Amino acid sequence: MTKWLRENLWRHITGIIMCVFALFPLYLVVITSFNESGSLKITSFIPTDISFANYKLLFTDERIPYMTWMKNSLVIASFVAVVSVVVGAASAFAFSRLKFKGKKAGIQILLLIQMFPAILALSAVYVIMERVYTFAPGLGLGTQAGLILIYLGGAMGVNIWLLKGFVDSIPTELDEAAKIDGATPVQTYWLIFIPLAAPVLAVVALLSFIGTFNEFILARLFLVDMESRTVAVGLQQFIGGQFSENWGPFAAGSIIASIPIVIIFLSLQRYIISGLTAGSVKG
Amino acid sequence: MLTTLIRGKVAFVIKAISLALITAVLLMLTQSAFAQEQYAIALFLAIAIILLNYTYFSKKRVPLKFFLPGVLLLTAFVITPILYTVVMSTYNYRTGNYISKEQAIERIKALAVESDPDGTAFDIVVGRYRGEFALLASDINNSSYFISTVSDRIPLDPESLEIDEIGVAQSAPDFTPLPPGKISSSKAASLRFKFDGEYFLTIESLNVGVVLRQTLEYLQPTDQFRSLITGALYDDNGNGNYVNVDDPEEKLEPGWRDPAWFSNFARLVQDDRVRTPLFSVFVWTVVFASLTVITQFAFGLLLALALNKPIRGRRIYRSILVLPYAVPSIMSILIWGGMFNTEFGAINEILGQQIAWFQDPTFARVAVILVNLWLGFPYFYLVCSGSLQAIPGELLEAAAIDGANPRQVFRRITLPLLLQILSPLLIASFAFNFNNFNLIYLLTGGGPKQQLDGEIAGATDILISYTYQIAFGSNIQDLGLASAISVIIFFIVAAISLYGVKRSKVLESFS
Repeated sequence: MTKWLRENLWRHITGIIMCVFALFPLYLVVITSFNESGSLKITSFIPTDISFANYKLLFTDERIPYMTWMKNSLVIASFVAVVSVVVGAASAFAFSRLKFKGKKAGIQILLLIQMFPAILALSAVYVIMERVYTFAPGLGLGTQAGLILIYLGGAMGVNIWLLKGFVDSIPTELDEAAKIDGATPVQTYWLIFIPLAAPVLAVVALLSFIGTFNEFILARLFLVDMESRTVAVGLQQFIGGQFSENWGPFAAGSIIASIPIVIIFLSLQRYIISGLTAGSVKG
Repeated sequence: MLTTLIRGKVAFVIKAISLALITAVLLMLTQSAFAQEQYAIALFLAIAIILLNYTYFSKKRVPLKFFLPGVLLLTAFVITPILYTVVMSTYNYRTGNYISKEQAIERIKALAVESDPDGTAFDIVVGRYRGEFALLASDINNSSYFISTVSDRIPLDPESLEIDEIGVAQSAPDFTPLPPGKISSSKAASLRFKFDGEYFLTIESLNVGVVLRQTLEYLQPTDQFRSLITGALYDDNGNGNYVNVDDPEEKLEPGWRDPAWFSNFARLVQDDRVRTPLFSVFVWTVVFASLTVITQFAFGLLLALALNKPIRGRRIYRSILVLPYAVPSIMSILIWGGMFNTEFGAINEILGQQIAWFQDPTFARVAVILVNLWLGFPYFYLVCSGSLQAIPGELLEAAAIDGANPRQVFRRITLPLLLQILSPLLIASFAFNFNNFNLIYLLTGGGPKQQLDGEIAGATDILISYTYQIAFGSNIQDLGLASAISVIIFFIVAAISLYGVKRSKVLESFS
């Protein structure tokens, strides 16, 4: 018994302390979301009366288009995830497998670009989109379409780089065999590469989805209308903006918005971690 | 498969139709970009159209077919902004110098007006007189009335007018009033109507017109402005403003964006108001990123070591411990922000203190590091447990047989090996946190700072959030200076990242 204590007690103590640390803010959000008073103050650690008022407010109050925000976020993030993977996979295949002039230089430029933090070029993107607005108001500053285009461009570097790494790891014997059998590069791509890469493509798409869902500052600068905002920008308004310090609805909204992400993350944990270690750190 | 089902003619038709659609849309955009004089964008779009059509109708160029869409997106939204940032860093691009020189001249002309010594104003009705825009003006005090067009001023006989109870003429012969809703959008709003001599009449609001005169005129041949009142001359100072020849401090507003070459970079070193905050922000950025990586790694490693044995409840521990990493970081940062609130925050409540977390520089910095620890330790826990498994067991056993105690085994074997394996990730994490804008912006906003002293940099501001403040945050938005700092940050991050890539290459050659 004492041997067990000596060997394992510190393990459990460390585990428990860190679990409390990890859970504390999350637990606080949950009880706040069921608390009608709207403050983040802990009245007691075990909630006495549970109220769904905050949740109801999100879905019924006309000044808070929560459902629209949620829909905006999901649509923008899904669109970016799917398109950036479709376009990125094709480019990755070319950079990994096909021969063309300037390929080496291209790969080096790609390496540099994918480590460039998008936020550094924020003012330039802003000015460019301001100009686009003068001739195409549907695409420029203040539109979701414009924001999607910027996200797509931004996701492209990292996605191509991650996927290229994956294609590099597929043995070349496979496509050489296909080539001998008379397959064109297009056929090799669709018949050999895509089926092999399907799980990786899914993970990269999910990473893009989470990254886009989490993006704040571009969405904040770009989407001015209440109706066109994403859920991240919208929720921030509860505590920073015009509603000011409304923690109850904020907590409820955060929980609903987080649930899909947490579920995706936990169920695909293993793949996502391996994808992250291969590429970059969570954004 | 898709390719075997859809091939030959069908595939060609589908391809042709989708290409035609894309081309049509892009052509429309090109044309309107050209019409709005956005030539660079128009040129880019035109090149994109040519490339797309050439690539997908040619039988060769197979690699291009694969990477063209990706490369076009990258060029448009990443490479161009990067290059544009570099260009902007050589301009005096800031509030007051935001527009082009032609636009600035127009604006200066439009703004250079003054009212007559009495500040004369009239009640007016905006409308058309014989087809021309005109004002029906009423001088209530003297019961005199006139119609003023751009070229003429016609006195009116009060008998012929319809005058309301306070003495304002509402209609006159040959005069048709404009509906009030249309006035601000009509051309009449910016017209100058005839008054007398150098003075003219303009629309001030829906029913008030004021008497003004031009004070500056633009002299095209010498590129100067001349005051019509004092005769003073204003020259282009080569720095994006017209200034009085005799008094260079007297500027005409607005200015325009003018090449400033390296003066933005020079300001970083020479201008005390820029250099001092920049230096302290830089030091804190490095300290912040290093402390973050060290704390996250230390706690992650501690956990990985603790849970490296199949103890009871390991799976439960693991699922709970990854939660901070799974929750969208924006939400958790904002929640932490609330928990650190001085009066209502949960943290002060538990500590039984009244610590002003975000008002005190040291406490604010501690809070930032603590929150970032919460956000990032699960990542290093997961990575470290993976890597611990990769360390060969024989190595550790051999050390134990040689008489090393567990602490020695950890310090001499496990830790150095882990650091070696994880060095690319540690470097990547450093580079990421070097630019961890969301955390700083959403948690402290860069504060605390002495805003009253005009300070832009706060105690927790890192380079990127400071840059954001310069570009978008304060009253004077200085995009040129912000771009110059961005360029420097880019070189720092690129150097760190390239070093990281090199490290991982070295590691690959080991394994």
